[in-house]
Amino acid sequence: MDILALLPQAGLNGLVIGAMYALMAIGFSLVFGTMRIVNFAHGEFYMIGSFVAFFTYAQWEVPFALTILIAIAVVGVAGAAIEWVVVRPLRTDELSSMIATLGVSVVLQNGALMFFGASPRPMPDVVSGLVHLGPAIFSASRIFVIVAATVVIGAFWLFMQKSRTGRAMRAVAQDQEAALLQGVDVERIFPFAFAIGVVLAAVAGVLMAPVFSVSPFVGATPMLKAFIVVILGGLGSIPGAVLGGLLIGMIESFGATFLGGVTADMLQLGVVIAILLVRPAGLMGRKEA
Amino acid sequence: MTGGLTIDRIDVSYGPRSALRGVSLEVAEREIVALIGSNGAGKTTTLRAIMGLTPPDRGTIRFEGTDITRLAPPAVVKLGITLSPEGRRVFPQMSVEENLQLGAYLKTDTVEIAHTMKRVYAYFPRLLERRGQMAGSLSGGEQQMLAIGRALMAKPRLLLLDEPSLGLAPIRVQEIGQIIREINAEEGISIVLVEQNANMALRLCQRAYVIESGAIALSGTGAELAASEHVRRAYLGG
Repeated sequence: MDILALLPQAGLNGLVIGAMYALMAIGFSLVFGTMRIVNFAHGEFYMIGSFVAFFTYAQWEVPFALTILIAIAVVGVAGAAIEWVVVRPLRTDELSSMIATLGVSVVLQNGALMFFGASPRPMPDVVSGLVHLGPAIFSASRIFVIVAATVVIGAFWLFMQKSRTGRAMRAVAQDQEAALLQGVDVERIFPFAFAIGVVLAAVAGVLMAPVFSVSPFVGATPMLKAFIVVILGGLGSIPGAVLGGLLIGMIESFGATFLGGVTADMLQLGVVIAILLVRPAGLMGRKEA
Repeated sequence: MTGGLTIDRIDVSYGPRSALRGVSLEVAEREIVALIGSNGAGKTTTLRAIMGLTPPDRGTIRFEGTDITRLAPPAVVKLGITLSPEGRRVFPQMSVEENLQLGAYLKTDTVEIAHTMKRVYAYFPRLLERRGQMAGSLSGGEQQMLAIGRALMAKPRLLLLDEPSLGLAPIRVQEIGQIIREINAEEGISIVLVEQNANMALRLCQRAYVIESGAIALSGTGAELAASEHVRRAYLGG
């Protein structure tokens, strides 16, 4: 096959995967930034999102827009509840709360295994057809994922920048006690931040369900990659997460197309290590005060 | 006294370490009260106790007749007390204007917020020039102005200032002192001024307290304390 024909496809796939990693990383980073908690269950909310998509869209044939809203509602409520019941009592102890989220991850994964079984379920595309851009031909469903992820990330960015609650979350992330002194009720911000963080993972799961398949274990790789992206982009930085996500996605896609999947993974980590050697705080990160 | 702040014999400790013992202090309406003392004497702890950041083990704190001893900081802010904290604690990765908006977090009336912001900019024209700049990139003096301005955004009736002169050039200290006096006179806000710079504090205040190892050692009018042998030797360098 012609190498020139592969390039646009690899680029498109890189954008799809990159957008997914960016969504994952932003949510992970939001929870860490505001609450100083490493949420090991983050990938499980991606998994729940993809199951919600499978049942509502593929099984019950609900409109896809509604599928996204259902996933947001289900995971949002679950996230706030988990923050309340599991994370809150351990807030003062970072290590214990991390282990607790690891426990949540195990419970959710095995719960899904019990109820839904281990075999991967395929899910149909949300939009079909092909899009011709110049000489290149793209699958419309891939383009849909990119557009939808961009809209969600844009909405989240606006929320953080312009809304009163978004501003309060950034304040809590930068200086919790100073935020408290402005009247920000930090205890009310935490479940909200946790819920929004895991909702972003769920949206990633919904969007990617047709691209990958749906199973109890689908959250593991996005979680691991989100970790890498967050470190690469700079802890707590939204633009950093987007940039890092796209970079990792591109390396993965081009690497897999031209060098094979195993080499791509090695290349990815090699690039991350090289970047961190030059910029220890990540691409857009600031030194911790 | 119904107006103002009354602290009645509070004890505060950090874990096993006692920080304040039997501290009593009063601030009348529209009064500037200075709290002076050396490093670690308990000045900041007193302010933290008022705000609800470090609640006392014993004793009471009342503001305008309400018992605020066990209130959390947001509730204290809502009642009309704000703090410009030690070390300024501005939000470094937010613009000057966003910092000010956060100061008005509990206010919902946007017209009122805009009006208050205008007043803050009038006190600190420097902040208006830098309104779009990240707070972390401001100079120390500008950050101090921002911290005070942010504390004014909630329209407090009692303003607590923790070391507003720390790290500033002498000319800036004068400026800040002048503005503190204006804020007190024009807005009718009572002020508790915590300072190591006893000179400045005693000139600005009506009354002052000297705190030493967690207890009030002396109190009186600013002039009385400035004349006291003990204060002159220990805090005014002569």
